[in-house]
Amino acid sequence: MERMSEGFTEWLRSRSDEQLRVLAMSRPELITPVPANVPGLAARAGTPSAVGRALDRLDGFTLAVAETLVVFPPDELPAAIHRATQDAPGTDEAIGRALATLTEMALIDGERRLAPGVQEALDPPAGLGQPAARVFRHDERAITLADPRAVRELIAQVGPQARAALDELAWGPSSGRVPNARREVSVETAQSPIEQLLARGLLGAIGDDTVTLPREVGLVLRDDRLHRDLSPAAPPLEGATRRADLAARTAAGQAFTFVRSVEELCEIWSVDPPGVLRTGGLAIRDLRRAAQQLDVPEWTAALVIEVAHAAGLVATGGPADAEWLPTLSYDLWRARQTEDRWEAVARAWLTLDRVPGLAGGRDDRDRLLNVLHPDLRRGAAAEIRRRVLTVVAATELAPSQESVLARLTWERPRRRGAHLARLAEFALREAEVMGLTGLGVMSPHGRAVLTGVKAADLLAPLLPEPVDHVVLQADLTAVAPGPLTGELDRWLGLAADVESKGGATVYRFAEASIRRVLDAGQSAEEILAMLARHSTTPVPQPLTYLVTDVARRHGRLRVGSASSYLRCDDPAVLDELLADRRAGVLRMRRLAPTVLVSKASRATMLDSLRSMGYAPVAESLEGDVLITRADARRTEAQPVRQVNGLLAPEAEVVTAAIRALRAGDHALLSRPVPASQPGGAVPRTPATATISALQEAIKQGSRVWIGYLDSQGQATSRILEPARIEGGYLTAYDETRAAIHRFVLHRITGVADVN
Amino acid sequence: MNDGPLIVQSDKTLLLEVDHERADECRRAIAPFAELERAPEHVHTYRVTPLALWNARAAGHDAEQVIDALIGFSRYPVPHALLVDVAETMARYGRLRLEKHPVHGLVLTSNDRAVLEEVLRAKKVQPMVGERLGGDSVAVHPSERGNIKQLLLKLGWPAEDLAGYVDGEAHPIALTEEGWSLRPYQKEAADAFWHGGSGVVVLPCGAGKTIVGAAAMAHAQATTLILVTNTVSVHQWKTELIKRTSLTEDEIGEYTGTKKEIRPVTIATYQVMTSKRGGVYRHLELFDARDWGLVVYDEVHLLPAPIFRMTADLQARRRVGLTATLVREDGREGDVFSLIGPKRYDAPWKEMENQGYIAPADCVEVRVTLRDDERLAYAMADTDERYRFAATTPSKLRVTEALVKKHAGEQILVIGQYIDQLDELGEHLNAPVIKGETKVKERERLFQAFRDKELQVLVVSKVANFSIDLPEAAVAIQVSGTFGSRQEEAQRLGRVLRPKADGGGARFYSIVSRDTVDQDFAAHRQRFLAEQGYAYQIIDADDVLA
Repeated sequence: MERMSEGFTEWLRSRSDEQLRVLAMSRPELITPVPANVPGLAARAGTPSAVGRALDRLDGFTLAVAETLVVFPPDELPAAIHRATQDAPGTDEAIGRALATLTEMALIDGERRLAPGVQEALDPPAGLGQPAARVFRHDERAITLADPRAVRELIAQVGPQARAALDELAWGPSSGRVPNARREVSVETAQSPIEQLLARGLLGAIGDDTVTLPREVGLVLRDDRLHRDLSPAAPPLEGATRRADLAARTAAGQAFTFVRSVEELCEIWSVDPPGVLRTGGLAIRDLRRAAQQLDVPEWTAALVIEVAHAAGLVATGGPADAEWLPTLSYDLWRARQTEDRWEAVARAWLTLDRVPGLAGGRDDRDRLLNVLHPDLRRGAAAEIRRRVLTVVAATELAPSQESVLARLTWERPRRRGAHLARLAEFALREAEVMGLTGLGVMSPHGRAVLTGVKAADLLAPLLPEPVDHVVLQADLTAVAPGPLTGELDRWLGLAADVESKGGATVYRFAEASIRRVLDAGQSAEEILAMLARHSTTPVPQPLTYLVTDVARRHGRLRVGSASSYLRCDDPAVLDELLADRRAGVLRMRRLAPTVLVSKASRATMLDSLRSMGYAPVAESLEGDVLITRADARRTEAQPVRQVNGLLAPEAEVVTAAIRALRAGDHALLSRPVPASQPGGAVPRTPATATISALQEAIKQGSRVWIGYLDSQGQATSRILEPARIEGGYLTAYDETRAAIHRFVLHRITGVADVN
Repeated sequence: MNDGPLIVQSDKTLLLEVDHERADECRRAIAPFAELERAPEHVHTYRVTPLALWNARAAGHDAEQVIDALIGFSRYPVPHALLVDVAETMARYGRLRLEKHPVHGLVLTSNDRAVLEEVLRAKKVQPMVGERLGGDSVAVHPSERGNIKQLLLKLGWPAEDLAGYVDGEAHPIALTEEGWSLRPYQKEAADAFWHGGSGVVVLPCGAGKTIVGAAAMAHAQATTLILVTNTVSVHQWKTELIKRTSLTEDEIGEYTGTKKEIRPVTIATYQVMTSKRGGVYRHLELFDARDWGLVVYDEVHLLPAPIFRMTADLQARRRVGLTATLVREDGREGDVFSLIGPKRYDAPWKEMENQGYIAPADCVEVRVTLRDDERLAYAMADTDERYRFAATTPSKLRVTEALVKKHAGEQILVIGQYIDQLDELGEHLNAPVIKGETKVKERERLFQAFRDKELQVLVVSKVANFSIDLPEAAVAIQVSGTFGSRQEEAQRLGRVLRPKADGGGARFYSIVSRDTVDQDFAAHRQRFLAEQGYAYQIIDADDVLA
């Protein structure tokens, strides 16, 4: 084992920087944090969790190749795989690719030997049982079974029922339950089929009531194949064919609708924000209400809310952060073009590490899952979402859910399960509702979002053109045959009630809605002019009549607010008061000869009048009217955590990490003890020269000698191999300490060449 | 960008731009699966409901056609969810079928076992079914044929009834097309019904539904039971049948409160059928009195609940429903679907009006202002008295007089709810008043006089609303009435919609008190009429009086 890992370390060390870079890209967990040197890297690569994560990323065929290497020696691999694929065309190429991948990921070394830890992680391979040597320790049966011919002979001896039992176990699971498994049996005394098998060592007991099919027997039963129906290629995606233009238009229509839903939600929450639950999140009641107001199913409402939150458009705010409110970013977002708005929310969704689809359901402990609640977080959500979309994007078809799932399972067979199926289902339906896909087909703008290219420009031409006119009808409705231009949209939103939404919007004029416009300060003439200007047809007589009729009665009654009033039967006293300069601060206004009102409170009024020498008495506040309108409220945007861990690390970071690793390894090999403090004066250079010298060193990959003020302010000097400068820090391998450190740039007093 | 005439909304309404060049084509494509909800002047609104989709399935359309029509005519992308929903809903019809079985009589079969299992697990279904016949079918008690259909519809799995009909007792009936002929749409409607077996024909008032009934009888050639709303209707059907068919007076029986004749063709009122004595329906035996080959339901939208129950037992007989609207105030559209049958024919009012079969009507709302003392009295009136007060203001009297004067020489109907007001109007206008207490004979005499133009003005109360025929009424003036009901509006308008000899347009006035609850009710009417596509105008009483 020790030898094996040493050999592996040597092999790793012999890999080129580029090869190590590829390794780090495919297994980013190996370089976070960056190991000090190659033995460190090898050790980390061999840990069960690291091996497990690497294997998780293998597709079905590559995993099968790795499993085959557990059972067969490397030189027998091609033949074994050919048996499993039954010589399907493309097998050789697929084997080549699989081996290249396994090598790249350092799961096998240059001689196709499995890397440390892999064999253990793959046990039992392909559902085979344990090797006979392990099942029958110190037993001659183990030796007998090593010969396939002997196994075949033994199998030929047993009866048909026993044979059926063997076939049952052949393709796994390889063990079964049998009472009293360790009973003593011999070929002569064997009665039942199970006893026949136990007596011949075709089954072995591995527990008091558990028997297993030894690996050698399993292989013979499988005709020396490790896998059944192994296919060298991914399962094909199946689904309906759609007209591409129609699909793209449908997607754009959904995109438009979704953006509108987000906006509508924020507008509703502006004036009527729902509360934040004590445990965080949004109450189910509020979710239902949102669904009703947006006229969408609950799961769509949950998606709209989650995405709005992820995009930073809503956050907690208000008194004690107890309300969900639109953010200031929402106002910026709202002012942008529909296509840009869509791109923003679509990207937020793509990297969302939460599962909106779970909202409204219950978790394992039967607790209700609320929208915006921390419980909706699922680490794998974003990765699976991206994988689903990538699969859909790989075809022109509208792939069926089953075939997408089959492909996902093939891509990562170790990561299948009900969880994957659910998340995949959510991702597909959410992509459709958000308009990344249309009629199940990946749209151009959806593809752009997925690949990180600007999507808005692709979406814009597909969106319905805004219209600046409506069709007015005698039933007091207005039909906007498309999205309205901003001004008209806002005006109609005020002047009429929305009755139906979709490609078009149907508005209905009513007394109350006309009154709203009048309240907003427009006159009947202005309303009618506005209608005439934006109507393609004459304004219907009943509508004109409605407007003038409401206007006729509008404002006949006047309502105002005052904090206090002053009554006096003698108008002369009030004349006197109004003329008094000292009363100016009370800002009094005369409503009638004997009544004054003031903004000042009753108490202030009383005090002021008394100080002026009057003797007023207080009256009860009966009839005092206060009218307030709830203002649209905002909260600060709060940073929303975006998880990028699943995405491949940036190339730059990887390069730097590899460089640091190499430097560490170099140090390990050449100077196993920490380098001694270089003698002489601590280098001193101007700051700009320092940075450029460091950058040069990074480029060259050379070592430098720096002066550094440590956290106590002591001047020290170090020998470094700089790797990367970022955000005011230098990341470098510190040969003096034999470790990777981050250095604060401004504390580096100077740089000098080591030599 | 596609420039179709149709916009599909997310709430499953379809907006059709009527002035679009492809509008007609589109209307024909969507009519089978969407109900016309509103038809104002520029943009018509259709609604896609499960019932409408099942009607379409029953008429032989499949989901693919529906989706093609939606996508083909839509200006904007059709929401995917809607398409999925359409396909799913339509796939639900016909999964279950009621069929005839040589041994078990009636069986419920399905090629989708899961669906059959699902409905059989429903508690209410269990007592209706008998023994399980293999995996895919189950025997159904023949008496439950109607009930099970009702129930399955409620469960969301409407059954297709393929169990056929009894022929009934044969009786020769032929149309006598002398001096008149079946209009094309009437023939289409009767044919569509006959091919469908049973079902509902939707035609506007005045489009000659009686004749469609007669044509259906001519198809059936069998004894027929006709159920109508009231006695006047009975006489009218009888007169019409004698005139239009080979039937003679002796072959047609009247079954009403006063006469109980059972003849090869029998016309009965809903009222007599649903009258009870000692808690039992006394006239149920009429359904079994003869081996009826056809049952005609007039004004299906008014069909009372007990008749539904009786109809559930008549599923083996052919049924045709006639109505102006499928909309029922009580929301029992589903029962019409399962018990009478799916919609077999539908023609939009406007189109028939354009073809000249019904007269176009102009609707005018006249607003009268209450006097100051009346306003004070109105403000102080009890809530339940307010409407009556507003509706019967004396100001309306003068406006009505002015309108009658304005239309002198034309046939004028004055319609109202309050007898006092009507009596007063009758006095002022010097016109006879027909109200609930008016004898049927007297009523018919007055109607005939009105028809013969011996009478120019007739004041009628609510009783005149249903199934009377006043062919030459050119002007209707509504002074009061409970306007909340949509179908009442359709009826009232139907009175003046009759095509007139001179081709002149009909006029419908309603007189409304300004700023009162009367005006609120009027707003409903205005909306309904405008939605039906009628020109609507609001004027002030002063304009009339001036």
